[in-house]
Parts: sequence; C-alpha cells; structure tokens
Amino acid sequence: MRTDNKDKKANNKNKRMRWLYDNLKGSRALYLVAILGTVLYNVMQLTVPYFSGEIVDRFLTGEDAAQNLKLHRDVFFTLILLMVGLTILRTVIVYFDCMTYEHVSQKVLYNVRNYLYDRIQRQDMTFYRTYRTGDLMTRVTGDLDAIRHMLAWVVRAIVESFSLYLAAAVYFLIINVKMALTLLAVSPLLFMIIVLFKKSVGPMHERLREKLADMNTIAQENISGNRVVKAFAREHYEIARFDKSNTDYKETNKKTAMVWIHFFPYVETFANLMPLLMLLVGGLFLMSGELSMGEYVAISGLIWAISNPMRLMGNIMNEFQRFAAACDKVIEIYESEPQIKDKEGAVNDPERFSGKLEFRDVSFSYADGSKEVLKNVSFTIEPGQTIAIMGETGCGKSTLIQLIPRFFTPTGGSILIDDVPITDYSLKTLRKNIGLASQEVLLYSDTIEGNIAYGDSRLTREEVMQFAGLSAASRFIEALPDGYDTVVGERGVGLSGGQKQRISLARALAVRPSILILDDTTSAVDSETENEIRKSLSELPFFCTKLIIAQRVSTARTADRIIVLKDGRITEAGTHEELTIRNGYYSELVKLQMGTE
Amino acid sequence: MARNTFKEDEELIEPFNIKHLLRASGYIKKYIKLMILALTLSGLGGAFGLIAPVIVRRALDVAVPADDKGMLLSLTALLAGVYALSIVFTTVRSYIMANVSQDIIYDIRKDLFAHLQELPFTYYDNRPHGKILIRVVNYVNSVSDMLSNGLVTIVLEGFNLLFIIGFMYAVDVQLASVVMFGVPILAFFMLWIKNKQRKAWQAVSNKNSNLNAYLQENITGAAVTQMFAREDENKKTFEKLSEDCRKTWKTAVRYSNLVWPGIDTISVFIRACIFIFGLILFGHGSKSLGTIVAISSYAAYFWQPIMNLGNTFNNFINNIAYLERIFETIDEPVTIKDKDGAEALPPVKGRVCFENVSFSYEDDKEVLHSVSFTAEPGESIALVGPTGAGKSTIVNLISRFYDAGSGRITIDGHDIKEVTLSSLRTQMGIMMQDSFIFSGTINDNIRYGRLDATDEDIKKAAALACADSFISSMPNGYDTEVNERGSSLSEGEKQLVSFARTILSDPAILILDEATSSIDVATEKSLQEGLNTMLKGRTSFIIAHRLSTIRNCDRILYIDDGGIMESGTHDELMAKKGFYYRLYTAQAA
Repeated sequence: MRTDNKDKKANNKNKRMRWLYDNLKGSRALYLVAILGTVLYNVMQLTVPYFSGEIVDRFLTGEDAAQNLKLHRDVFFTLILLMVGLTILRTVIVYFDCMTYEHVSQKVLYNVRNYLYDRIQRQDMTFYRTYRTGDLMTRVTGDLDAIRHMLAWVVRAIVESFSLYLAAAVYFLIINVKMALTLLAVSPLLFMIIVLFKKSVGPMHERLREKLADMNTIAQENISGNRVVKAFAREHYEIARFDKSNTDYKETNKKTAMVWIHFFPYVETFANLMPLLMLLVGGLFLMSGELSMGEYVAISGLIWAISNPMRLMGNIMNEFQRFAAACDKVIEIYESEPQIKDKEGAVNDPERFSGKLEFRDVSFSYADGSKEVLKNVSFTIEPGQTIAIMGETGCGKSTLIQLIPRFFTPTGGSILIDDVPITDYSLKTLRKNIGLASQEVLLYSDTIEGNIAYGDSRLTREEVMQFAGLSAASRFIEALPDGYDTVVGERGVGLSGGQKQRISLARALAVRPSILILDDTTSAVDSETENEIRKSLSELPFFCTKLIIAQRVSTARTADRIIVLKDGRITEAGTHEELTIRNGYYSELVKLQMGTE
Repeated sequence: MARNTFKEDEELIEPFNIKHLLRASGYIKKYIKLMILALTLSGLGGAFGLIAPVIVRRALDVAVPADDKGMLLSLTALLAGVYALSIVFTTVRSYIMANVSQDIIYDIRKDLFAHLQELPFTYYDNRPHGKILIRVVNYVNSVSDMLSNGLVTIVLEGFNLLFIIGFMYAVDVQLASVVMFGVPILAFFMLWIKNKQRKAWQAVSNKNSNLNAYLQENITGAAVTQMFAREDENKKTFEKLSEDCRKTWKTAVRYSNLVWPGIDTISVFIRACIFIFGLILFGHGSKSLGTIVAISSYAAYFWQPIMNLGNTFNNFINNIAYLERIFETIDEPVTIKDKDGAEALPPVKGRVCFENVSFSYEDDKEVLHSVSFTAEPGESIALVGPTGAGKSTIVNLISRFYDAGSGRITIDGHDIKEVTLSSLRTQMGIMMQDSFIFSGTINDNIRYGRLDATDEDIKKAAALACADSFISSMPNGYDTEVNERGSSLSEGEKQLVSFARTILSDPAILILDEATSSIDVATEKSLQEGLNTMLKGRTSFIIAHRLSTIRNCDRILYIDDGGIMESGTHDELMAKKGFYYRLYTAQAA
C-alpha cells in the first residue's frame, strides 16, 4: 500500500513534468537558451570580484602600488573598464534572459489557458453538475498562475542556485582542495533538510489550494446571489460564512508558513556552519601553512555563493510544491474528456434538417442514480408540426427537451431527426439546427443586439430588429434610451422577467432553426403580449418544427398535438379537442384555467 | 454610470496617490506592536551581523599570526554564538511576520466582503460579477506580501542606509559624496520607471479583470453557449482577452525587469568612480589605503539595501494597481443604509402605505409617477399589467432595495427610511423571479430562510410549498447536494425550493414577484391552498401574469405607465370592462 502511494506520487511527478514539457512545445529551444543565459550571467557574477580584487592588489595594497599606478595607468583603466563593461554586459544579459523567461512562460500560459477554457466550455452537463463555478475559476486563474510562476521564476531560481553553487565550488576546488572539501561537506546535510522540508510542505499546498477554491466559491455565490442575500437580510450570516472560510484560508496559510519556520533554524544553522568552518579550519590551515592569506580571502569572499543558494532552496521548494498542487488540478481539467462528443465520422452537414423528430422508447435517469425521469417515451413529430408538452412540475418535460440537443444522453432508446439517430450528427450540426429558449433565461452582459445575435453574429441590425419584432420585444427595446445598444447586466439584470424571456426567444428565433424548442418561454409575459407572440410563431418567416412546453392551455390549444407527461411517461396525447373530452389532466387544466370549475 | 462589460476596462480616474499607502498602513496599525518587535529583532540581527567581520578580522590579525589555537577556537565559539543569536532573532521575526501578514490580508478581505454586503443592487447590476470576485480573492492575495514584508523592508533598509551613509561620511567626506552622487541618478531612473510601470500594471489588472468576467459568465452560461454552438466564436473572444493579458503583462514586466539591472549598472559605475577619484583625481596618497578599502566596502554595503528597496519598490508599484481597486470597492458609497439613529421596526401588523411615490433608475425616465395606495393588514394585493410597467419596482421599494425618489412609504405608520434595514427586511418574505440556489444540500437552501429552523420545520415548510414530495423522492432526500446552477432541479422545482425558503422565514409581509411562473397550473393550485393558510393575517403583494394566480386576491392594482390605472376586486374590475378586463379576456381566449 505504501509503496503504491509512493509510486503514485512519483508517477504524478513525472506526469507533471511530462505535461509541462509537452506544453513547452515550440518554445523548448528558446527556453533552453534562457536557462543557458542564467548559467552564463551567474558565472559572470563571479568575475567582478576578480577584477576589483586585481585593482586592489595591484594599485592599492601592493608594495609598489603607487609606482604601478603611475607606470601602468593603461592597465588600471583597462581593469576598471573590464569591471564596468562586464557588469553592464551581465545586466544586459540578465534583462534579456528574464524577458525570455517571461516570453516563454506567457506563451505557455496563453496556450494552456485558451485550451483549458475551450475544454471547459465543451464539457457536458454532467461535468457542470460536478464542478462548482468558483472551483473552475480557481483553476483557470490562480492555478495557472502558479504554473506561469514555475516557468518564469522557479526554474530560473533553481538554475541560478545550482550554477552559482557549482561555479563557486569549482572555483574553491581550484584554489584549495582541502578547504573546499571541508566547506562542501556541509551541503549534503543542508540538502537533506531541504528534501525533508519539501516533503512536509507538499500536503499543505494541496490544502491551501482547496481552501482558496472554497473561498472563491463562497464569494462567487454571494455575489451572484446578492438579491437573495438582501431579500432575507442575511448579510450577517453571509459575513460569518465568509469569515469562516477567510479564517480557514488564513490559518492554513499560517500553518504552511510555520512549516518553513520550523525548518528555518536548521537550514540557517547549516548555512552558517560554512563561515564558522571557514574561520576555524581555515584559521588552522593558515597556521599550518596549508592555506595562503590570498586564498583565504578569495574563498571567504565567495562563501555566500555556496550558502545563499542553499538558503534560497526553501523558498524554491515552497513555490515548487505550490506548482505541484496547482498543476494536478489543471491537468485534471486539461485531460478531462466530455462523455458527450462527436462520434467518429459524425455527419457535419451544414444543410438544414427537414425537421422530423422521433423519440423511440427513450428512458433517462441522471448519473447520480436517482429515479428514472423518463420512461419509454415514444412519439414522432412530422416536419413543420407544432407539439405542446404539458405536465406537472418535475414530470420530466425539461429533461425531455434537453435530450434533443444532446445535453444528456438517454439511458435507453434513441432519438432520431430526419430518421437518423442524433448521435450520428456532429454536435455542431445538431445544435445549429435547434433553437432553444430555455426556462432559465441567461443573458450575457452585452448589448441587447449582441444578445439577440448570440447564435449568429453576422446578423444585421435590421434582422435583429425583425426577430425582436417576432418576439414582441421591439416596443420595449425601442423605448429604452439606448435602444438595441442598451447593455444588459449579467443574467440580464435591469430587465424584467418577461423582457428577458422575449429577448431569449428572439435569440432562439434568430438562428432560424429547423427545430424550435420553447421551454415555457412566455411564463413571465403578460397575456396580451403572449397572444402577440403566439401569432408571430404561427407565421415565422422560416420553416420549422416546434416543440413547446407550456403551462397555459391558451398556448397549447393551437398545437397539432398535445402530449401530457406524468412521472416520466406519456399519459395523454392528441389534439385539444380530443383531450378536452377525455377526462384527464388536460381537461382538468382546461376547466381550471377557463375558470369554469 | 454605464453598465460595464467584459469588453471594456473599468476606468480609474484617480491619479497615483500616496494616500493608498497611508490607508493601507491603517491596517497595519493593529499589529504595530508586533511589527515594532519584529523590526527591533531585525535591527538587532543586523547589528550582530556587523560584529561578525570584527571577530573574523581579530582572528586573522591576531590569532593566526600568533599561532594561538586556543584563541582561534574561542573566537570561533564567539562567532557561533553570534550566529545562533541572529538565527533566533530571525526565526522569531519570520514567525511574527508570517502571522501578521496573514492577519492583515484577512482584515482587508473581511472589510471588503462586509462592504460588498452593504452595496445596493445597482452595484451588482452594473458590472460583471467576475470583476467583483477577482478583487475579493485574487487582488487581496497579491497585496499581502507588499503590506507586510514590504513595509518591514522599507523601514529596515531605510535605517541601514542612513547608518551606512553616516559611517561613510565619518570616514571620508569627499569619497562619501562620490558614492552619494549615484543617488540622484538612481532617483531619476526610478521616477521614470515608476510612471511607465504604474500605467502598465493598471492595464494588467484591467485585462485580468475582463478575462475573469468573461470566464465566470461563460462557466455559468455554458448551456447557452452549447445550445447555440457558439464554442468556436467564444474561443476566439477568449483568445483575444487572453492575448490582451499577455501583451499588457509583457509590457509591464519590461519595466519591472529594468529595475534590478539598472541599479546594478549604477552601482558598478560608482565603484569604478571610487577607484578613479580615490586614486587619481584626488591624487595617490591623498586618501589612505584604509580609507579607500573602507569606503569601497561600505559602497558595496550601500547598494545592497538599495537593491532590496528597489525590489520592494517594484513590488509596490505592481500591487498598487490592485490596492487601488480594492480601496475603490471599499469606498463605493452605500446608497441605501440605516439612517443615523434608526430604530428597529416593531413587529409588523402590516399596513403598507405609498404616499405620492415617484422613482426613476439612473436619472433616466420616471418608472413610477406619484403612486399612492394603502394596503391594510392582512390584505392581499395583486399587481398586474404589461411587463416593464413598474410592478417589480413597486415591490422593490417596499423592501428598500431601491429608495424612492420622492414621496414616502410607511409600514404601520413608520417611514421605512427611518427604521433599520435588517428589521425591515427580516419581517418580509420576498421571492423573486430568479430563484437562486446556493451550493449545499436542499436542506441548507431552505434553512437559509430561518437559520435556527429544525429539520422538521424545514419539512413542514417544504410540504406547504408542495416541494416535499419531489424532494423526498430523491435518493438523498433533503440531503441531496445541489449547486448554483441548480443541478438536477428543474426551474419549477427551484421555485418550489425557494418558495419553501420564504415560507420558513415566516414573514409578516409577503412579496411574490412572479414567484410561481415556472410552476405548472395543477401544482400551483395545491400551492395556493398552502398559500391561503399562510396568507391569513399577512399583508401580501403578488405579481403574476397568470391571472388564475391572482383572481382571489382582495384587491387588484393594474399598473401601467408608472401609475395605478385601475384598482378593485376581480369582479369589480371585470364589470368595469377596462384594462384588466381586456387582459383577462385575452388570456382566457
């Protein structure tokens, strides 16, 4: 079991690196250049002390320094020039090197973010029922930023540390092997501690990430649900709820920091062991003559190049683990496959359907294993017909129509359009042919024109106005100060329910679908307007089959056929006249609504 | 203000202001003692750091030439002691700062969130929610480091700098001045960078905010996207927003990455100048060897704090862009709030009175024009009329979601502007068209109406709302997990759940704004029975287009053109053969 876990961890690690490597495609060479650049400027960093040391030795402290300065002024200036020139060269390299890291990391971020967005928007509804909005947003923002940070900073810091360390180590070994080995002996210990730290801080970052997603979710729902919060005067409750999450996040952050603070004294002790050894052992070596004064000064002047990288490792590991936790979350979405997708060789035919729709023995239950929502539903609609579907709340009406654009897949039976199973069409072909105005009206924060033309952005203003007219929306739109250019808020705030529904209807009509599905689209519309809409629906400028979910008899009565659903089964089917005399749900409804009880 | 979308940046007119930093320091005040302690410890640590070279020099100058191993050993031990103390100081300081920085972040976020709760609908209506969210979560995270460690660095390195400058001048005024010559150059450089950088980082924050807004809207509206097969087009839009982020980021880091190389370059020039001036211009021998060595080593010390300050400065400029947005939100005026000395509204009997109430949104045309009516306790009032006539506005005014422009609204004789908001709203049950479902169980969602309700109360409320049967038929019953998008609940079921939520809150005044539009007629009929028992003794306002819902109300108000056109019972209005009659016959047709 334990080894399993270990294997899994190692696998994850390989997977992350593999994934990162794959996503560097196209920039790998450039990234390598950036890494080499980092090595280069770190080695160069060791050169400045060399030149300033030379200047001090030759023209300041040496026995004939004054003489040298007079006779070899050219050498003096050459050294100064070298010192300044190399530093400027180095800073130029540093600048371009940093920018290269930024360039590559931004490119990867850009690609991964776009890919991730596209992945998310193509997921099926089962996915959307699993992931909370706030969680998904954390993945596309915070988690991706951790990956960007990895490429832009963490990798550079690692390369920087190692090259500095190695360059200094080689330099020490050249100067004095014994002294160098004495100092370097400390590094493995320090390294071990860092590895221990990395292990213990890993789980903390996973938790931290979870807490962040939680907080994101709570804040996001509070903002989206602000009307409900106010309606119930639940501000204090919300503040307390958020406070809990905020506190949780704070505490986890502190705990994560404490892991480092726990390790910090040990790391510092080992790091400080180096100058101590330098003094003690170096002093003894000086006494025994195994080390010259010049060598001592040279080594001790560069001891930071050995100990600082080791110190920095703590921070690096922290960031590395943050990356690891975030990366797993990103990869999860990156690799997730929607269950509903185009079949191999799916028909991608831009031509219109003629509009025959058939349900053949369709059953459906949601993946969470709850009861069957639809049971052996069968019916056929001929092209151009209008069918009304009625039934009590929760009878399966909305589920039924959601199966047509393949938001869910039936658990039994099949659905055919023009005698072809809908799974044989590409999703795009299928959906482009369907116009659906759903119950829950979701408009985008965009102009009214933009919302109506959502399904077909090539629409002209005239066409938009035409469809608004068909949905009885032109009057109120034109009465707005900015007319069709009025920006509506998210979810269409600023508009009344009936107004939103009419825009949503216009949006569905604007794609000129061959199958039009209206899910109780006029529930919040007053009856006069509804009559108007009903009239224009019967005179649409394009041919289509209509499927209408309705609560009102007035909407249903003109349909070619009315289907009544109860507990997921069809209990009644027929015309208004047929059903009115058949003592069932429909005739009850007629009595109820005509006020003739 | 025009409504903002993901396509446009939110303007920020205010110029760069030190005020933001001062304001931020307000958050630090609470922890000032701890921070002073941390600073003192850092200072002590730094002072010990200065002792180390003295010990080393003594070992090399005295112990080694004298071949005194005992002395070397004791000096090493002394050095170890110094290091140990400095480790202790640094550890304690890190401990304090880790806590303080998290506490500050927590405080800012808490204030921000609490303020958001007070902001009116209009605030939420006028901007994409993703833009609000990014401030609460991402931006606050960004400023954390700057406020804690940034300030410590400034104070500490500031002191260090003064200290070193003092030392340098004590050693040699001329050479010290050479070193100081770098300062104005640096200042000029930093000022130039600052202006560029600030604009660049503001752009970054704007573009990120746009991206976040688009993202949130599209996750929420995924079904619509898929229905209209808009994926390809959305992808293009997102790529454009993504590209904006990338571009602005690269511009911004172009400046940020200049700071460090810039300081480095200036520093090496100064070092070169020390040698040139010290050895040649001032004449060889005019400065002692010790002086030059000392000054050049101080010069090295001098630039270290400046480097650190430069980094901190960088950090500040980046994050000020975020801080500005945070404070902008905290400063957003609360237009609807308790009046000074507002008292709680006593238990409501239910007489609601509109006296010449007029209202307009955003100074545009008037939505309501001098509306007056009185609802007696226990009376049920129906509001009907064409969409957009002002019905929702009337009920929104009762609960003070908006404040009336002129005229006044009283409940039991109390002007609603004179009582506390929470006492007003907790006595009201408001159900709106959009039934928002929070993520959690169905139980949690209903309990939102009354937090201390027992499971039994909840079941009872659900039964009254005709929601019990469908909830019980779910495999997990009331413990079924739902989320914002409602999961497997149909729109009608969502309305029933939020109806149960409202029933549970046991309000004295009930407002139903198209609350049952998605519920089928048969269910609504049984709902009506539950409702009737509930309505007894409560004043209620019901907006519905389905006239069967409202025909039994005590009084029906026909609203159009911002005013009450007709008022009376169903029978009276039918006899009158006016607007209502027309509406009713249209529906029955």
